[in-house]
Amino acid sequence: MIFFGDSLISALMLMFTLDSELLDIVHVSLNVSLTSTVIAGIIGLPAGFIISTGEFPLKRALITILNTLLALPTVVIGLFVYVLISRNGVFGVYDLLYTQKAIIIGQIILIIPIMTTFTISAISRIDTRYRKTAMTLGADQFQTALVILKEARFGITAAIVAAFGRVISEIGICMMLGGNISGYTRTMTTAMALQYDKGEFVLAIALGIILLSISLAVNILFTYFQGKSTG
Amino acid sequence: MTLYFLKDIRQHYNHRTVLNISELALTSGNIYTLTGPNGAGKTTLLNILSFLRPPSSGQMEFNHLPVTFNAACLQKLRKSVVLVDQHPILFSTTVYKNIEFGLKIRKIPHDKRKQIIQSSLDMVGMKKFTNADARFLSGGETRRVAIARAMACSPDVLIMDEPTADLDLEHQMTIETIILDIHRQKNITIIFCTHNLAQGARLTSHHIHLFAGQIQDHNHENIFKGEITKIRGRHYCRITEKVLIPTPATDKRETKISIHPTAIRVADKKDAEPGLTILKGKVIGLSEDKERIRATIDVGVLISLLMEASEYDVRNIRINTMVDVEINPDGVTLF
Repeated sequence: MIFFGDSLISALMLMFTLDSELLDIVHVSLNVSLTSTVIAGIIGLPAGFIISTGEFPLKRALITILNTLLALPTVVIGLFVYVLISRNGVFGVYDLLYTQKAIIIGQIILIIPIMTTFTISAISRIDTRYRKTAMTLGADQFQTALVILKEARFGITAAIVAAFGRVISEIGICMMLGGNISGYTRTMTTAMALQYDKGEFVLAIALGIILLSISLAVNILFTYFQGKSTG
Repeated sequence: MTLYFLKDIRQHYNHRTVLNISELALTSGNIYTLTGPNGAGKTTLLNILSFLRPPSSGQMEFNHLPVTFNAACLQKLRKSVVLVDQHPILFSTTVYKNIEFGLKIRKIPHDKRKQIIQSSLDMVGMKKFTNADARFLSGGETRRVAIARAMACSPDVLIMDEPTADLDLEHQMTIETIILDIHRQKNITIIFCTHNLAQGARLTSHHIHLFAGQIQDHNHENIFKGEITKIRGRHYCRITEKVLIPTPATDKRETKISIHPTAIRVADKKDAEPGLTILKGKVIGLSEDKERIRATIDVGVLISLLMEASEYDVRNIRINTMVDVEINPDGVTLF
């Protein structure tokens, strides 16, 4: 317990003194996580909207597949992307392995199903009268879609928050595709694993606190906006 | 001037024809009621008239121009016609922004919007709710804001699907007054469907009666579901344990029937035919309907009959009195 207490105090010191190694790791983590969340959002949110509002064959089968992909292990994605981008892979010429881009690609694959299924769920809960109302007031297809998205904004924000939470805390993809290179692809989770292996808990605890604080801050912001809007 | 002209309009759902209109012309500037039982095709017709859904087949003209049922044409026409739903929904924002929606779409300049929003809300008596959160309005208030939202778009046609359904009498009267005010001030075409025939009679003399998807020359009323039974060579439809309605001869077993209100008469005890065609009931409502008297009688189920004013005077019918009711099977339609 004394050991844990000492480590905690040292970790807090690292944080308050803005240790450069710590800042580098947090910066890399936020950079890859935010980038992958934004790109997955650009793909996943419209896909969820189209799947939810459209009528096409095998719609239910597609939703079942997306739901199944929610349980996709990060090591499977890591392995799959590794095969594609390693020197002998199809995209080997782009030299992506052990770069932040590789982590981002893996994380996008990880969270697109989350974004899409959460959006499908959010849109399908929206009353169909919103669509009819927007149309009868003269809205075109795009304006009608915006009305539906606006009404489903909390479900969609939840999709983004859940996806961000998933990527900021995952380790498999960061380790397998990033390679844990200090100052370049070392993220909070891979750094914590390394420190654990070395038996050095100070940095690991500091990173754990930051990781939890980021998750907490994102969720507080989400709850604040949700509460503000629902009155 | 003819505003709508519909020819051979049909709508099918799952291989079932729910609407089959051979011809319908609506003149601009009139108020029309659309009546008919549930499932008669009223909402389907309103959706077609408001260009929200193309029919399965048929031709339509609006303002003397043929309607091509593609998305672009329908979207353009929707700017002239606004539908207020049976249970309208307001966007999750303020009343002001709800009404502003249609104005933004029509690219009305920002400074003009406020004036239009205020006058629209004033028309429905909701001006003090301008900045209220639309989610916290009552059912009657929501309906009034929905009408204001529609009117702010300055449509040529205002279509309303049962605008007073589920509202108390006070709110019903408020909505009726609003409809008449809108018509008087704007002289636009108003089409609304209702189950309340007295309400329809109060607001207009133009009625469209739909029955089983088709326009009828008279209104189907007194619609019941029952089982056909044969007693002493005569056919009856058993609606409840005690209520038997005489019907024309039929091979059907389970059926729906409608009884024309003039086929029901209050029988004089002296000339009443004894037997099963007489039903005893209590008079629970009396009203005037186009110089005739409409009586609502509880015979175990509520039935509505129409009688001449002279007959009413002779019979001396009063609310809460018991009467014998005779039904002419020739006025009963099976479907």
